Amino acid sequence: MNARVDIAGSAALAVAGMRSGYGEAVVVRDVHLTVQPGEIFALLGKNGMGKSTLLKTVMGFLPLQGGAVSFFGEAVGGLAPHLLARRSLAYTPQEQALFQDLTVEDNLRLALRDRTQFAAGLERIGVHFPFIPQRLKQRAGTLSGGEQKMLLVARALMTRPRLILIDEITEGLQPSVIERMVRVLRAERDETGAAMLIVEQNVQFALAVADRYAVLKLGEIVDTGPVGDGAVAARITDQLSV
Amino acid sequence: MSTLLDILTTAAILYSVCAGLLLVFGVMKIINFAHGGFLTVGGYSALLVTHLGLHPWWAPAFAFVIGAVCGMAIERLVVRPLYSRPLDAILATWGLGIIIGQVITLAFGREVQFVKSPVTGALDLPGGASYSEYRLLLVAVAVALGLTLAAVLEGTRLGLVTRAVIMNENLARALGINSGLVRFATFSLGAGLASLAGSLITPLSSVDPNMGVPWLVNAFMLVMVSGVSLVSLAIACVVLGGAQVLVSQWGNPILGGLTIVVLAAFVLRLRPQGFSRG
Repeated sequence: MNARVDIAGSAALAVAGMRSGYGEAVVVRDVHLTVQPGEIFALLGKNGMGKSTLLKTVMGFLPLQGGAVSFFGEAVGGLAPHLLARRSLAYTPQEQALFQDLTVEDNLRLALRDRTQFAAGLERIGVHFPFIPQRLKQRAGTLSGGEQKMLLVARALMTRPRLILIDEITEGLQPSVIERMVRVLRAERDETGAAMLIVEQNVQFALAVADRYAVLKLGEIVDTGPVGDGAVAARITDQLSV
Repeated sequence: MSTLLDILTTAAILYSVCAGLLLVFGVMKIINFAHGGFLTVGGYSALLVTHLGLHPWWAPAFAFVIGAVCGMAIERLVVRPLYSRPLDAILATWGLGIIIGQVITLAFGREVQFVKSPVTGALDLPGGASYSEYRLLLVAVAVALGLTLAAVLEGTRLGLVTRAVIMNENLARALGINSGLVRFATFSLGAGLASLAGSLITPLSSVDPNMGVPWLVNAFMLVMVSGVSLVSLAIACVVLGGAQVLVSQWGNPILGGLTIVVLAAFVLRLRPQGFSRG
């Protein structure tokens, strides 16, 4: 037990015995995972296995029915989403993740509490996604699907978060954009030391970007480990196909 | 000419009455049925100004402040605990409207009373007719109100944050926006605007504890056909308010009173998004 407390103390994110869901329907049961500072952690699983539910619970959109969540040692279970965001936790949801009717610029500005950071933030994300500074006045809803996903990531990076939660960013993306996402996320981690919890179905992307992985099945983690092992991809694919 | 001015001034009055309701609907996704009660509060604020012997110009400011303070208290004590139960919140506002009417009856009595108008003159129109200056003034007030709200919504951080909450509240929260605070501010502003509108309409009619009710019904329908857009609201007020004026003048005033409700129902039947673009 002490060991777990120590891990939670230093971890960017520590989830211990999480139980969550929608009322009576329990979707996540007894999940333990930790993401260390500067670590990219991929959570894999098929649709309906509880991946998005886990992220929504970490972010405070769903109540914690059991267990604990801590963020850099601070217990944050039950904290409202906006307070988590203000503790430098960025979240990119899978659906309805942009304000479609607002401009690219307004979408980015909404993530920043301090407007003086905008220019510097824009310069930083412009390195990764050069189209964004050029199209600030365009409505976000008129961007292509891939561009919208890039804007999502850009908005998360804008704030220099300490932890980023990313929900299925590769869904519907072409391979070239997926490769770019891998480069951008790893570069950002190397530069700022941000930790990332990435929820994915795309095994190839997840293993390319992450340091560690876990497989979530019916609300429980059935496999976890470092991605380095060459047999990992085959094993995960196998687990996801069952 | 005077029919045209009637249409314009009626639309202006409707716009002032509806603006607060529209904002609250946009941000909180509930129709605030206490809106009629806040209109009444505004009417009696104007009456108080008259009783206190203050110049009638004080009435709108006084009404806005009293309405906003009532709104703050009600949001905090009644509406906020019901955030996760929007239907109950709507019922609660309905009850609140009734309570406000009763409290006002207790304090001021049931009888119809009158308020001084800040402007009493009439403007001569070409062709020998004349038109109430006060009604014309209300057009300027409505335009100023619309422009101010638009400027705040489109041109400030507060407006951007409010629009974000209107469009997608959960996403706004995920980005660090305290949507509870936005709801509180909007509800208070909506109550203040309703009360302000109540003080503006009193010189035209009279003050009684149920004065807000007929306005509430029309305002509700106008907001329903406007979506959440101040521009659509202006269009709806001109079109439906205009129809009301025409029916009252050339048909009869009783039918005129029903015009907005009936036409709005037709509009929604034919075009569910009403006057808004979406």
